[in-house]
Amino acid sequence: MSEFPIRIDGVNVPARSGQSLAAVLLVSGRRSWRTTRIAGEPRGLFCGIGSCFDCLVTLNGRPNVRACVTLAEPGDVVVTQAGTGHE
Amino acid sequence: MSDVADVVVVGAGAAGVSAALVAAGAGARVVLLDNGPAPGGQYHRPPTMSPMWARRVAGLEVHQAAGRITLRHGVFAYAAERTTDGIAVHIRGDDRHADVTETVVGRTAVIATGAHDRHLPFPGWTLPGVMAGGAAQALVKGSGVLPGQRIVVAGTGPFLLAVAHTILSAGGSVAAVVEANRPVAVPLARAGLATGPDKAAELAGFVRSLARHRVPYLHRHRVLAAHGDVGVTSVTVARVDSDWRATGPERLIACDTLAVGFGFSAHLDLLGQLGAQLTTSADGGLAVDVDADQRTTIPGVYAAGEVTGVGGVDLAGYEGLLAGVAAAESLGLTPRLSAASVVHARQRVRVLERFADELARAFAIRDGWKDQITDSTIVCRCEEVPAARVREAVDALGAPDARTVKLLTRAGMGWCQGRICGTAVERMCPAEGATHDTAAAAAAARRPLAVPVPLGAIADHHAADERITP
Repeated sequence: MSEFPIRIDGVNVPARSGQSLAAVLLVSGRRSWRTTRIAGEPRGLFCGIGSCFDCLVTLNGRPNVRACVTLAEPGDVVVTQAGTGHE
Repeated sequence: MSDVADVVVVGAGAAGVSAALVAAGAGARVVLLDNGPAPGGQYHRPPTMSPMWARRVAGLEVHQAAGRITLRHGVFAYAAERTTDGIAVHIRGDDRHADVTETVVGRTAVIATGAHDRHLPFPGWTLPGVMAGGAAQALVKGSGVLPGQRIVVAGTGPFLLAVAHTILSAGGSVAAVVEANRPVAVPLARAGLATGPDKAAELAGFVRSLARHRVPYLHRHRVLAAHGDVGVTSVTVARVDSDWRATGPERLIACDTLAVGFGFSAHLDLLGQLGAQLTTSADGGLAVDVDADQRTTIPGVYAAGEVTGVGGVDLAGYEGLLAGVAAAESLGLTPRLSAASVVHARQRVRVLERFADELARAFAIRDGWKDQITDSTIVCRCEEVPAARVREAVDALGAPDARTVKLLTRAGMGWCQGRICGTAVERMCPAEGATHDTAAAAAAARRPLAVPVPLGAIADHHAADERITP
């Protein structure tokens, strides 16, 4: 299982092949990585299998990517997301 | 369509892989679609793999090498429909490639799309650190990461024990398992060892695992609320009666993670789009109606696994086998299975279905969950709709069902399309408070798209298509 860094909000964070972005975010010490559109409440991993869309991040410039069902890849740049991700 | 497969299988979990192996063994050309990185579904997650599953995967590889099975992983089926050629399944890429679309057509289809944890709201359930039991399982089994340092597992059902066992086996710390119904031993005893010795042994093993790690198994207890500022730091737990109403003193359990679930909800989107008849399952949720050969009410469409009623990985495997047999035979092919193994599968399906029904009754959702819902408790996480607005829609505006509540409040209209809040909203409606109304539930669960797709991608993809409607 290879190890490589990915970038989360400008900081290098260790990832292993086969790990979801959500797992890498948790290992980096984050429990939330999105704020909601209306109340601005923090959200992170919830259903964990792609159904709830709570764990959205902006990945390589693409907003609203589900961190739980997207595996980390070398070179990934993750930005935690506020609101719709399009603001 | 120039390239039509004999069987398109949606979902490469226990059910879908069984179906694909049997159909390919009969000589069918199979396309197997899955949204994960590898076959296995929610149960078999690489790198964790049982010897049985390793054999299945090896079988897949033999058929792939021979050109009988085309495995497409990392694709999400967003819609299905009947066409002049058969069953068309529209897929898109994973979230990195969400605008890449394609259509896969099969003369027959096996829908084995599985399920996710069923949820009920409670104060604090939107706090980071509160997650589905399935999320905790997936993290440990799939990514080798513990969800937290001190974990409370709560809700109802034998799956709580599996989650706790997985966490403990990975060296994690479980503060308590909080089961709102009676302990698992009760339904096991009632079902009798004859109905499921292997399942009973598995569950007994989980209970021993808790005892060995000195984890309290608090049955007839419920998490009334989760507390914290930017994440969960503790939960309030109290003893409850058989209706889940709090009867005992409240106590606070410190934790950084709450893994919670109240059974499972099946992924019926594609089957609903195809027009298959849905029914109410023993657990009170929706399932697709199938006959003893796993046929749905739509010609050429078979279903297997949790979509036919939640019953676990073993039942899913046997149902998949039968679906594969039926799909192959409908194409004039002969499955290369002994008659005895088909008879055995049918017998196991009957036994495991009875066992699942027994568990569903023992671990049903009781009405007391509503007692802790305050006006400000969020019901719909996506659209951030509090309980006060759902109650206003029902009490003041007269909404009779979940679909009307959705139109009035936006509960169920967001990203998840009601997959998470649907159970709660349905049970907050007067017509469905006590008894499940299949038609109303099916209407609320109607989703034209099973996963979000960029509109431009759909427009490009379907511009030149001709098709018939069901």
